[in-house]
Amino acid sequence: MKGKLWVSLLVLIVLGAFLTTGVLAQEKVTIRWLFETDFGGGWKVLIENFEKTHPNIKVEMQEGPSATNTREDMYTTSFMAGESTYDMAYADLIWVPKFAAAGWIIPLGDRLTPYEIAQFLPGDIAGGMYQGKLYRIPSQSDAGMLYYRKDLLEEAGFEPPLTWDDLVEQAQKLQNPPDLWGFVWQGNQYEGLICDYLELLWGAGGELLDAEGKVVLDQGTAAVEALQFMYDVINTYKISPPGVTTYQEEESRHVFHNGQAVFHRNWPYVWTLAQKEDSPIKGKVGITPMVHKEGFQSAATQGGWGWVISKFSKHQEEAWEWIKFATSYESQKILHFYNGYIPTRHALFADPDILKESPHYPDLWRVQINARTRPQHPQYAQISDILQRNLHAGLTGTIKPEEAIKRAAQEIRELLGQ
Amino acid sequence: MKHGKKPFLTDRRFGYLLLLPALLLFGLVIIYPVARNVYLSFHEKSIATGMVESFAGFKHYLKIFTRDLRFRQALGNTLYFTVVSVGIEFLLGLSFALLLNLNFRFRNFARASVILPWALPTAVMAMAWRWIYHDIYGVANDILLRLGIIREAVAWLGKSPLAMHAAIFSDAWKTTSFMALMLLAGLQSIPQELYAAASIDGAGGWARFRYVTLPLLRPVIILALLFRSLQAFAVFDLIWVLTQGGPGGTTETLSVYLYSYTFRYLNLGYGSALSVAIFALSLIIIFVILFFQREEVELG
Repeated sequence: MKGKLWVSLLVLIVLGAFLTTGVLAQEKVTIRWLFETDFGGGWKVLIENFEKTHPNIKVEMQEGPSATNTREDMYTTSFMAGESTYDMAYADLIWVPKFAAAGWIIPLGDRLTPYEIAQFLPGDIAGGMYQGKLYRIPSQSDAGMLYYRKDLLEEAGFEPPLTWDDLVEQAQKLQNPPDLWGFVWQGNQYEGLICDYLELLWGAGGELLDAEGKVVLDQGTAAVEALQFMYDVINTYKISPPGVTTYQEEESRHVFHNGQAVFHRNWPYVWTLAQKEDSPIKGKVGITPMVHKEGFQSAATQGGWGWVISKFSKHQEEAWEWIKFATSYESQKILHFYNGYIPTRHALFADPDILKESPHYPDLWRVQINARTRPQHPQYAQISDILQRNLHAGLTGTIKPEEAIKRAAQEIRELLGQ
Repeated sequence: MKHGKKPFLTDRRFGYLLLLPALLLFGLVIIYPVARNVYLSFHEKSIATGMVESFAGFKHYLKIFTRDLRFRQALGNTLYFTVVSVGIEFLLGLSFALLLNLNFRFRNFARASVILPWALPTAVMAMAWRWIYHDIYGVANDILLRLGIIREAVAWLGKSPLAMHAAIFSDAWKTTSFMALMLLAGLQSIPQELYAAASIDGAGGWARFRYVTLPLLRPVIILALLFRSLQAFAVFDLIWVLTQGGPGGTTETLSVYLYSYTFRYLNLGYGSALSVAIFALSLIIIFVILFFQREEVELG
């Protein structure tokens, strides 16, 4: 019995010694983040380049689920427990207020000069702000825009549409359902519906919240008009297929990509896929800012991704080194060519190599520069859900648009205690 | 064994000692989280309060049962989904089980193929159904258009009463096989002599089914209904993939609602209260179904 005790003690001591020396010998710091699958391989190239110049830091990209909300949940669960699994997060701009309000990420604005900040697109910087502080350094931009079939419009002698009426008129003339629909977009009950709706709302002079954060959705007629327009393109003008109320990005893109739609509202990624060798619409696509109501301005919803640093990380300085590197001009160029990302720096939209490959970049820049963020409120997820449920009920004819807007405004006011 | 002082480690104590690790684990992974959940449901803790805890009393519960219209809608949706889907699955499952219980040539092949839908992960299956219901590229529309049953393409998940029934149909497609299997196992255990005896007494096919099969199958039926009802009442993955609660919240179930409050809005206090309420409702369902089991099966 006694013998056994001694043996086990000895084993413990040896093990302990082994482990501690292991830790001491390894001076390398590992920083980690959770990502989806690195399809283009650009991130792997960046990590290699970074580790060459920073021999003391090891960067670990955990490849996880591709569903955005699943990754958000994984970050949330980890942060809620206050653990340091992830030193940084590659964050969608709508996560920022939530994470910042919960105190899970640290402000980064003081680490950059105003000149450095000005190198980025304004919408992407705005998407990283919460209560006047910058929490996120943008790495990949996104904005909603209107794709159109250049060949069909030229044939009919149309200029790209500017207003809602232009779009309806051209779509009705050119379409031939069910083989060719006029206009496809994202009408499913999810976050994308809000992105599409806000572009119509802003493009009719409306607002969801004013500068003080007060709900102004039901003031004026813009909100009802925007929803009515969404309803009408399906049911009155009949330029959108009835199933558009179930489409997310991919379902709607398939219709456009297969040459079965004239106009298509979506994010920049569609362009890259449309120009692939085997694409049915290769070389037949143009982009233009989203249409607006007569007498108002075009608006684009800002999307995009960037870097935040966890408050619980033990290696915040190393994480910052990585972020500086990953958002640099050269790195964004690599990510653009490998993964097809839209850069967040003005200068890259005039980069000769990029222009050679993507001559539409000046057009894209026009869209990006006008992009606006969704309300940056810590309770945005809930605000968005209230809107989604009511707008979708109006869109699918369960309730009238006026009623949908009234209810949405009322529920958001109640939530925010106004 | 000498008489005198008992040793410290009696067999009984030693047994408890061996159980201790399992009990500790159980306490850690089941009892503690549930207790914490109940505790949280009486507190305010959310992103709006900066994740600071404060006492809220019955505030959340009051709101759930009086002012929360979305909860009411989700409860209605969930009950409808549960009753209709489990009802359809039971009737279809019983028919399949009776068929598979007969002797025919490809019986084993048929039995194996009935299991297939049940073996698919729900999320994968739901993704496939989403494309089946697609208005332009969907198989459902293609078949119905060719047969001339519908004139123009229908967006199955895009209109209010349609979407819920499409979800129920997908659910029934998958879980009918589970019902059929359970009931088939029950049928197999009924002694053939009983049927023979009933036939001699002059019972026809319906009478044999009514007075032999059903009474003897009842325990299995109760078990299957209980199992499926609880599963259907907690449905999440199917709805999340198919509609995310749309159109306009008409397919939002309690689980989807709870998930949104807890993980997406980070309102832990209210989310906990919701989960306690849903737990209580599940208990009611269990009692209702078990109520039918009280009578003893009489075998004359």
